[in-house]
Amino acid sequence: MQQKIDNMARNGEEKKGAGDQNKDLFITAFKTTIPVLLGYIPLGMAFGFLLDGAGYHWIYAFIMSLFVYAGSGQFLAVALLSAGAGLTEFAIATLLLNFRHAFYGLSLLEKFSGIGRVKPYLIFALTDETYALLTTTDVPQGSSKSKFYFYIAALDHLYWIAGSVLGAALGSILDLNLDGMSFVLTALFVVLTIEQYFSSKARFPFIAAVGAGALSLILFSSDNMLLASIILGTLILIGKEKSMQRTQREQEMQKIQITEKNQKVQRTEKSQKTEVMEKSQEMKGVSQIQNEIRSINTSIQSVEGKIEEEN
Amino acid sequence: MLDTLQMLVTIAVIALATFATRALPFLFFGSREPPTMLAVIEKNLPPMILLLLVIYCLKDVQWLTAPYGTPELFTIGVVAGLHFWKRNAMLSIFTGTVLYMVLVQFNVFSFL
Repeated sequence: MQQKIDNMARNGEEKKGAGDQNKDLFITAFKTTIPVLLGYIPLGMAFGFLLDGAGYHWIYAFIMSLFVYAGSGQFLAVALLSAGAGLTEFAIATLLLNFRHAFYGLSLLEKFSGIGRVKPYLIFALTDETYALLTTTDVPQGSSKSKFYFYIAALDHLYWIAGSVLGAALGSILDLNLDGMSFVLTALFVVLTIEQYFSSKARFPFIAAVGAGALSLILFSSDNMLLASIILGTLILIGKEKSMQRTQREQEMQKIQITEKNQKVQRTEKSQKTEVMEKSQEMKGVSQIQNEIRSINTSIQSVEGKIEEEN
Repeated sequence: MLDTLQMLVTIAVIALATFATRALPFLFFGSREPPTMLAVIEKNLPPMILLLLVIYCLKDVQWLTAPYGTPELFTIGVVAGLHFWKRNAMLSIFTGTVLYMVLVQFNVFSFL
């Protein structure tokens, strides 16, 4: 309570207490996860329905979704259960299928460092969808990163559990036509990829993904293609980085020339920007102006990139 | 059919194997400084993995039989176009999903 009063006293305009802030943060996290909710319910139901069909009580769907929490991993488990696989087979198949998650962790080492006591849970709950949200969504300003991440991860987990229990308990009774609804996750990934495109200057990761993805689609079965494509893509990224480091020395020798050229470019950039500003002021919305500037910035980046390559 | 104990042991094995794959990098680099190469990879992995997840969602599409993946590609095009235009995540995702559900449930591309 004292802290609450202090906060309010310190910040004249800030009228919300800590509880309200948490509530706001939770609502923001909920809004962020709505696409996952709509994707996990039908997918979870499909899993629960399958497990029910294999003759297992719905409580197992609940236990698996609570403690395993891996979409494709649980589908695989149902297939192995029906095939009467042994424990070693379960272990090896699960390790291979989910090994891609090790790559997710690699890119979260910094983000998760110093995140506090929620870290083990965040690592446990690192599904494809949660990874996609955590790497792309910005934490609201002035909010706790660990709380925001925890809300997102836990909400996604909850949706998955709810879906699988629903499917196992009611799957045979309900006759909803949810055909195509899990496309919501494809759409989510498309949108998050575009957001990555906006927030990151790097363009090569997308080229690497298209190359590695297409090659893996052709060469590997659909069960193995994701892991194969992630390994392939990572190798491409490392190869590109190594070759860039090699050429870096040569570039340093020509640094003076680059600076001269950059100054020229900056001058033209400035005139381009003013021109665009004038044009866009005539346009209607603020968002249109922002979009315009954004696209100009990208073209400037590519011009800069080309000049650097020429040198 | 497994009995209760066998089933619980099996679930425990699957749960541990899954957690191991997720915890591996954190265990490995928890006490030592990651190599500099990793910093570059760390930055570039998310955009690459997200696009790979999009491609992964298309893994079961039958490209060589009708409708040749048209519902998927068409909807992805609409979602991407809408998102570049309006940049409203909810709008892009829900328009795309409803569109896709209509396309497959009413078999709109059956003429192909």
